[in-house]
Amino acid sequence: MLEFMDYVQHSFYKASHWNSENSYSQLTATARELLEFDTPRGLRLNLSSLSSPNFATSYALGSVGLVDGALSYLYTSLPLFPVSQSGDIDLHDVIRGYRQIQELRKQEESWMWEEWQGGKRIDKRNTLFYGRLYLPQSTLEALYLRRLSPTQQLKLSAVSDSRLKNGGTILALHQYDTGKYSTETLYSTDGGLVGVRGLYNFGPDPRKGIIEPPRTEDRFYGRFSAGAEMYYGALNKSGGVSFGGRFATLPAHKGVPLTATLTLNPLMGNLSTTYAVKAGKNLALCSKFDFNVYSYESDLMLGCELWRMKAKAKKIQERSMAAKLEWRLDEVEKNPSPEPEEVTGVLKARVDQNWRIGLLWEGRIKELLFTLASSIDMNRPDQPFRAVGLEVQYSS
Amino acid sequence: MAFNFNWSPLTADAEFYKMAQQMLTTALNKSPKPPIIVDDILVNELNLGSVPPELEILEIGDLAEDRFRGIFKMCYSGDAFLTLKTRVQANPLNTYLFSKPSFTSPQPLAASSGLTIPLQITLSEIKMSAFIILVFSRQKGLTLVFRNDPLESLKVSSTFDSIPFVRDYLQREIEKQLRTLMMDELPAIIHRLSLRLWCPEYRAKEDAELAQAEKLEKEEVAVDPLASPPQDAVDARGNVLNANEISTLSLDGGGSEVHSLFSQKNLVRLAALTDSHRTLSLFTPSIRDAVFRAWASPSEKTETAGTSTPATPSLLRGSDDGHGHMPSRPSLVNLQSATTGLSLGAGRHSRSHMRKKKNRVVNLRKSKTTDDIASESGSEGASVAGSEPIISTRIPEEPEDNIITPPRSPSGRVRFRTSSIDLGDSPNKFRLSTPRSALSSKAVPEQVILDSTSTPTMEKDEPIIYSRTRRPSLKKAQSPPDKAPAIHLTPAPILSESLSGSGGIIEQAWVLKMAGEIARRAHDEKASREGFWSGSTDGREETPPPAYQAKDL
Repeated sequence: MLEFMDYVQHSFYKASHWNSENSYSQLTATARELLEFDTPRGLRLNLSSLSSPNFATSYALGSVGLVDGALSYLYTSLPLFPVSQSGDIDLHDVIRGYRQIQELRKQEESWMWEEWQGGKRIDKRNTLFYGRLYLPQSTLEALYLRRLSPTQQLKLSAVSDSRLKNGGTILALHQYDTGKYSTETLYSTDGGLVGVRGLYNFGPDPRKGIIEPPRTEDRFYGRFSAGAEMYYGALNKSGGVSFGGRFATLPAHKGVPLTATLTLNPLMGNLSTTYAVKAGKNLALCSKFDFNVYSYESDLMLGCELWRMKAKAKKIQERSMAAKLEWRLDEVEKNPSPEPEEVTGVLKARVDQNWRIGLLWEGRIKELLFTLASSIDMNRPDQPFRAVGLEVQYSS
Repeated sequence: MAFNFNWSPLTADAEFYKMAQQMLTTALNKSPKPPIIVDDILVNELNLGSVPPELEILEIGDLAEDRFRGIFKMCYSGDAFLTLKTRVQANPLNTYLFSKPSFTSPQPLAASSGLTIPLQITLSEIKMSAFIILVFSRQKGLTLVFRNDPLESLKVSSTFDSIPFVRDYLQREIEKQLRTLMMDELPAIIHRLSLRLWCPEYRAKEDAELAQAEKLEKEEVAVDPLASPPQDAVDARGNVLNANEISTLSLDGGGSEVHSLFSQKNLVRLAALTDSHRTLSLFTPSIRDAVFRAWASPSEKTETAGTSTPATPSLLRGSDDGHGHMPSRPSLVNLQSATTGLSLGAGRHSRSHMRKKKNRVVNLRKSKTTDDIASESGSEGASVAGSEPIISTRIPEEPEDNIITPPRSPSGRVRFRTSSIDLGDSPNKFRLSTPRSALSSKAVPEQVILDSTSTPTMEKDEPIIYSRTRRPSLKKAQSPPDKAPAIHLTPAPILSESLSGSGGIIEQAWVLKMAGEIARRAHDEKASREGFWSGSTDGREETPPPAYQAKDL
C-alpha cells in the first residue's frame, strides 16, 4: 500500500500533468507490484493529514523489537485536492497491482504555462518539498521536486545519516518526457555514479496530434516500448548496462489485458522475462523467470492479486409515498447508473521456486487502512513464519 | 630448564584438522560479511605445514606442574596454507546498492541483476610476528592473547587473479577479516579446544548440558526434582558439581546435601512461603517461573462455581463433585463418588485448581495434594467401568499433573479414606471460600449465610438423591459431560423436591438460584456449542460409548 506521502506525491504528478509511468525504470512496474511487494514486519502505525491543500504531515510509529518512528512534512506550491480521508480513499489509488498503461497524451506546450500580468511573467514553477526524520536513528530524508517545464522535471533526493560514508548521499535526477520517448539522467554523490536511461514508445507519435481510431479489431491492440540504461561509477570504476522491452495492451483492447517484458543485462548475462495478465476484473496473475547464461542460475516466481469486492446488498424497491398517493407505480429508472463497487480487500500472494511464500492482505476497516503481511518459508518446517507484520494507516 | 614444543604430532592428527576446520568455518561466518560475499565461507583445506613457528621466551610469570604463564615472541614464516570456498557477487552495481538507503538509490531496472560466482581463495605464505601472552592452567585451559596485530603479510590467490581490481579488493578484504579472526576469534577457539583436551570435566559438562537439553524436552517423565539436576549445581562449599556427583545424590540421601544443591536464595523464599501459610501472614515472596494459586484464584473461583462456560470436562467435574450443586451434571463419576459415600469437599476444588494450571505450580501443602491425588485415583479405581470415558477425556491432562505433583507417597493412599476429615488441615481461607464460590455466583451476602447452612445438609443428602433419581435416567445422562443441554434441565425439580424438608426460605432461594444457574448454563452450553466443542458433540451425542450401554442394565 502506498504511504500517504507517496500518495500525495502521486497526486502532485497528476495535478501537474506528469506521466510518471513513462520511464524506463517503470518498465516492469506491474511485475514489481505483483511479485516484489514489501511485506512489512512488526506493527506500524501511520497518522497522516493533509491539513491544507499545500501542506501535509505524517507520523509513523513502528515496533520491530524496539520502537521507532518517523516524522514527515510535505509542502507543495501547487494546491492539491486528493481524497485524503482514509475512509474515503479509493483503494485502487493506494494499492498498486496490475498497472494498466494508458494512451499517450500530448504534452502541454511551454507557452501554456505562461502567465502574464502587466507585461511581466508571473507564473512560477511547481515545486514540492518533502522531509522525513527517522527516530531514534536520526536519519533525514529530503526530497525536492520541481517541474521545470511541461516536459521536464528535476528531482533531488538526499539522505543524511551519520552511519553513511561522507555522512549522506544526494541523488539528482533530471527527467525529460515528450510522450513518444523519455530520457533520464542521474548523478549520485555516492561513488560518483552517473546514469542515463531512455525509453522509446513505438507507434503513433502523440506530439503530432493525429488521433487515429484504435484498431481494436486486431488480435492485440497495445504498445511496444523499448529502452536501455547505463551506469558508470566514476570513483569505483564500475558500471552496469541493461536493455529492456515491453509489450502491453492498451485500455481499448477488447481481450484479456496483458503485459510482457524482457530485460537483458549483457554484462552479467542475466535475462529476465515477466508475463502478467489481468485474468478477470478482480484477478491478476504474474510470472517471472530469471536466467543467467554465465552461471546457469535460474529463478522462477509466481504471483497473483485478488480484489475482493463488497457483496452488493440488493436494493429493495419500495413504492414511494408520492406514487402511492397518486395510485400509480414508480417510474422505472432508465439506464440506472452502476454504483461504484466497494473494495473490501486485496490479497496478494507470491511464491518462488524455493517455496518462500509472501502473503499480503490489504483493505479497510471503518476509517483505517490496514496491511497484513506474512512471509513464510516452507523449507524450514520448524518455524515457517519468518515475519508477520501489520500496518495501520489513518489519514484525514 | 628446557621446553619441548612438539609441532609434528599436531599437524599429523587428522581429527585435529577436522575440528579446526569446523571451528574456523563457524568463526568466519560469525561476523557480518561484506555484501560481495553471498554465501557461507567454507574452510576447504587447512594445513599447518611442517615448519614450526619460532618462539622466543621473553618472560615466565608462573610455572608449576599444572599451570603456566608466560610471554613469548613468535615469528612465523612457514608453509601453512588455508583454502576457502565461497560465492561472490560479481556485479559491482549490485553490491553498490546493497547498503545504500533506498531513498537515494538510482533504482536501476536490470543493470543491478546479480551474477554469483563460486570463488576459491588460497591463503599462503603467511608471515606473522607477534607477542603472545600465554596462560595455561589445567582447570581453566589455555588462554592465548596477541598483544599486537600478528599478521605481517600473506598471499591471497584466487580465481580472479587475472583481474587486478578484484585481486586487490580480495587481498584487502581478507586481510581485514583475518585480523579480526586472529585478535578476537582465535583465542576463543584455542581456549575451547584446550578445555576439550585437558579438562574431562568440561567435556562431561558439555555432554551433561546436551543431555539436559534433551531431557527438558520430555520433562513429563521427570517427577523427582533431583532427576533433572540444576545446571549450576554447587555443593556446600560452593564448588561446581558435575553431573556424576549429582546423580549420586538422592532424595533420601541426607537432607543437608540436597539442600546445598539449590540456590540459597530460593530456599529462603520457599521457607518464607511455607511460613506464611502456617501463620496466615499475607506476605508472599515472589519466586521466578512459578504461578501461585492466589494469583489465579479470582478467575478460577468463578469457574469452580460453574458460573463460566466449562472449559474442560475435568474442571466441571471438580466443581460439582463435592457439593452436588450442579444437578445438571450427568457425569458418572459424580454418582460413583456419591455411592462410595465420599464427599470430597474442598479436596476436589484444589484438584480442579491444579488441573487448570498449564505452568508449574509450587504447591507447598504437601499433605493436601497427596490427598487429592489419592482420592482422585481412589475414586477412579472404584469405578473402572463407569468412569472410562471420563478417564479418556482426562488423558491429555495427565502429563501436566505429573509435573506438578511430587511423587505419590503410599501414605497418601492410606489417608484417602479419611479425606473428608483431612479437610481440617487445609487452610482456613480455603474452606471458607469454597461453599461461597460453589453456590453463589453473584455472592450476595444473604446467600452466603444461606449456603453455609445448606451445604452440610446437601452433602448428606446428595448420595441418596443422586443415586436414586439418576439411575432411571442414566441412559440419557450417560453422554459425556457438558454436552447435552436438554438433560441439564431435568434434574432440577428433583433436587428441589428433596430439599423441601429443610425449610421454605432456603428452598425457595435455592430453587431460584438453581433456575438462574440452569438457564445460564443452558445459555453457556449453546455458546460453547458453536465453538470448540461443536465437532466432538455431534459425533458423540448420537451414540453413547459402549462402556455405558453395558453398565446401564
